[in-house]
Amino acid sequence: MRQAGIYSGVVSGGRSGPHLLPLARIKKIMKKSGDDVKMVSGEAPIVFSKACELFIEELTQRSWTVAMQRKKKTLHKEDVASAVLATDILDFLVNLVSDSNNPLDLAPVERETLVS
Amino acid sequence: MTVEKNMDDNVIGRAASSINDENFIKEQERLLPIANVGRIMKGILPSNAKISKDSKETMQECVSEFISFVTSEASDKCRKERRKTVNGDDVCWALETLGFDDFAGPIRRYLHRYREIEVDRANQDRVRNIVDDDQREA
Repeated sequence: MRQAGIYSGVVSGGRSGPHLLPLARIKKIMKKSGDDVKMVSGEAPIVFSKACELFIEELTQRSWTVAMQRKKKTLHKEDVASAVLATDILDFLVNLVSDSNNPLDLAPVERETLVS
Repeated sequence: MTVEKNMDDNVIGRAASSINDENFIKEQERLLPIANVGRIMKGILPSNAKISKDSKETMQECVSEFISFVTSEASDKCRKERRKTVNGDDVCWALETLGFDDFAGPIRRYLHRYREIEVDRANQDRVRNIVDDDQREA
């Protein structure tokens, strides 16, 4: 009989609580990232399940810092967008968090340049 | 005449709604489940914090983009090295290259622990088979 306790402990990141992210879905998303991604080894989705958890935690914490600065108790999309703009390694998300309805606010310096 | 028109509209309506269902399913497959994402977000925030639905949806999108971004980098490396399979080490390398080097330590520990468990399980199966054989002989 499988000792479910030990296994699910590791699979859920070594802490108590349910397992975090579905590996099959991660694998699907990996394969969609490009035509040349044809074969993905068993451990790659495992690595991503932990990496995604850490990514979500990092971005959520930064977004919450912004929300607190804005004296809010609820995390909103705009807080996430601001956190992305303020973090260099999240540059790849800049287009994703901005859209035509909410064009990104230019920094004050850039705005002055335009006016003159 | 009116009856026929109504029937055509029904057919078109059903076809459109099934296409919408298909699109919805495709859409969901490119994202991680909102419940899981929400749970991780909740886990890192103070207990009085509230999380809007739109911020969870945005986070879903960001994570999928993150997976694609890192996978592309890992895949490029494999192509240059003439390897066909993207493995766990490639993903680790890509994370470090793209600036997520803080993740490296926790991921290595996680992977190490995961491999340990797999070996334990394999050994348990082996022991169980030996015990079963002994019992059968007795």
